[in-house]
Amino acid sequence: MSLGDWFEERTGYRAIVREALDEPVPGGARWAYVWGSALTLSFLVQVVTGWLLMAVYQPSATSAWSSVAYISQNVSWGWLVRGLHHYGAQAMVVLLVMHLGQTAIYGAYKKPREMNWLLGLGLMSLTLGFALTGYLLPWDQKGYWATKVATNIAGSVPLIGGWTQRLLVGGAEYGHLTLTRFYTLHVAILPLGVLVLLAAHIALFRKHGVTPPRKADLSRVDRFHPKQLARDLLIGLVVLGIVFALTLRSHGAHLDAPADPASDYPARPEWYFLSLFEALKYVPGHFEWIIAAGIPLVAGGYLVLLPFIDRKPGSSLAARLVWLMPLLLGLAGTVALTVLSMRKDAADSEYQKARTLAEKRAARALELARGGVPPAGPLAMLAADPQTRGPELFDKHCASCHKLGEHVPPDGKVTAPDLTGYGTEKWVLALLDNPDAPAFFGKTPFAGMMPSVTRPPKDPDAAQYFTKMKPEEMKAIAAFLVSEAQGKSKKGMPGEKMVRERCTSCHRLDGKSDDPESLAPELRGWASVRWIEEQIKNPGSGKTYPPGAMAKDLKGHMPAFQDELEAQEISLLSRWLYEQATGASPH
Amino acid sequence: MPEDPKTSRRGALTALVVAGSAVYAGALAVPAYRFLHGDDAGGGAQKERWIRVGKLEALPEGKPTRLSVIGEERDAFNISRGKLGSVWVMRKGKEVRALSATCPHLGCSIDLGGDNKSFACPCHTSRFNLDGKAEAGPSPRAMDDLGVRVQDGFVEVDFRRFRQGVPNKVEVG
Repeated sequence: MSLGDWFEERTGYRAIVREALDEPVPGGARWAYVWGSALTLSFLVQVVTGWLLMAVYQPSATSAWSSVAYISQNVSWGWLVRGLHHYGAQAMVVLLVMHLGQTAIYGAYKKPREMNWLLGLGLMSLTLGFALTGYLLPWDQKGYWATKVATNIAGSVPLIGGWTQRLLVGGAEYGHLTLTRFYTLHVAILPLGVLVLLAAHIALFRKHGVTPPRKADLSRVDRFHPKQLARDLLIGLVVLGIVFALTLRSHGAHLDAPADPASDYPARPEWYFLSLFEALKYVPGHFEWIIAAGIPLVAGGYLVLLPFIDRKPGSSLAARLVWLMPLLLGLAGTVALTVLSMRKDAADSEYQKARTLAEKRAARALELARGGVPPAGPLAMLAADPQTRGPELFDKHCASCHKLGEHVPPDGKVTAPDLTGYGTEKWVLALLDNPDAPAFFGKTPFAGMMPSVTRPPKDPDAAQYFTKMKPEEMKAIAAFLVSEAQGKSKKGMPGEKMVRERCTSCHRLDGKSDDPESLAPELRGWASVRWIEEQIKNPGSGKTYPPGAMAKDLKGHMPAFQDELEAQEISLLSRWLYEQATGASPH
Repeated sequence: MPEDPKTSRRGALTALVVAGSAVYAGALAVPAYRFLHGDDAGGGAQKERWIRVGKLEALPEGKPTRLSVIGEERDAFNISRGKLGSVWVMRKGKEVRALSATCPHLGCSIDLGGDNKSFACPCHTSRFNLDGKAEAGPSPRAMDDLGVRVQDGFVEVDFRRFRQGVPNKVEVG
């Protein structure tokens, strides 16, 4: 007795396999019948890749983004698995339309198949539910803002809106509980729903069989295996091939910057919801739920009723065209609105600018995440990153007076030294030549306090004693100051000697100056990160400028920031400022 | 005609089975509902929460500035200091005004229009004038005004959140 026979005797499995494979296909196997199988196969891809993602993903507001970035960047083949899941989901949406279209065109919803049509619609809703819940899970800007819009739409439905919204969001604000709820829906409830409905869908399909076209030769009957099965599998493979190709082309799914509730972000839904998004722009006031919830409801209602209103026997397409018109018009409208939305965005320079900024943030966040994210989360990581936080802090606190490269005061009025190139030889030489130039002290209360080393003073008496500094001496002083900025000074630099001879009549060097009343700053460590830090904390501490530099009558002097900014922010800003100004990394 | 005792027993049993099933389902459904919805009454006015957002003198005259609202907030099982949202703050002489940057339409983050003379939502193209009044697009109400005060030279905002997509300003929290 073979093993198979032994097993057969105890289970009767052969009859089950035969039942599955030998199903008759009246009218013969057809390419038109492949879509249901292709959908089921795509769902399997989602299940397997989903399990793999679950093995790494963590649903919490502080770790979701990091775990997805980890999958995309660190986990071996993680980008591929996530990419397959992402594009697989989109393939399912496309296949859904094909399957629904084929069923509608062939009239396969008609008696006695009404229930199976309804089950199919249920499966379609579940699939869209997967798409909506899955979009949020990476907890990136894209998912966060788009889902916020989606749940707010749910919230604007009269009577039950607020209740539904709180149930979905897990409270009033987005956070951990929103993620865990969406996650539970995505990995437990929706899959279970699909499993149950799909089993019933397939069972009913087997019961009623295919709906061949009117002109089909019904005397010809194929078996499911191998003719139809081969076709189904081939299409499944082609779809999988396309999903692989899309994944490889973009090296996996895109991940936006981590969700930041305080940021500006041009939210857009996934492409298959763009038509609804576009429609929302045209609905006035508080009626958006009519569009966002009403259109799907009307469309769903029409689809549900279709088999009950189109009851004439026979499957002639021409006779049913009137009933299928709403479907065709709906599809055309969806395509038109989607294209319109895409074209509007492509032509909108503000949107493109915001998109570029978002891409920049995303790239930096991913770059940082490669080395690991602190447990406090990706936002804390970005807040400690000079390259991200530096420009934000500078724009907010410094750029109202200072200029630094492309960072300029919003009103264009620079009232403090231009920090572009601050701490470099070029900057020092230009300052020595003309300290009262608008880019230096010209527009500050310190104007007229520092004399030029190349231009005689205006006062004829003082001009008498003026000797112009030689270029090589200026270069030596600049070399010394630049080495101070870089923390690379060596003992006995010629520039240091010159500074002692020519500059300490006003300036301090190691705290010593010939004129203790002078407002000229300390030159030891000038423009170094430490010096900048002290200057930002308190420009009158004596560590940079003397207390007199903060005198009340010195209108427009630099304020102290030690009460306004946290120590970490000052240190971060100083590092960034140094890097930006000198183009070098700090010592 | 008297009812057949067999049938009536059967009917009673059926009723019992139905009732039993309902009890069984309810025993799961009621805790599930309480678990998911808690004692959440749907918000309502919250306590004042004054948060320092920036220095008064750093605000340019007449031009709105977006300021992050950083404060302590509890998110389920975590309490942390972080970004709660952002506000648009504008100074006109001595008067300071703060508007929530959350679009009252569907919650996107409102931007300053390219001309600096209006606010614009980048999602569904709602536009507001600099006072926050809705001028175009689908927003059902004006931008949400927030309490603002100046203390020791710092601007402080009473940070609150409101329901979106409704014509009235209803606080949630």
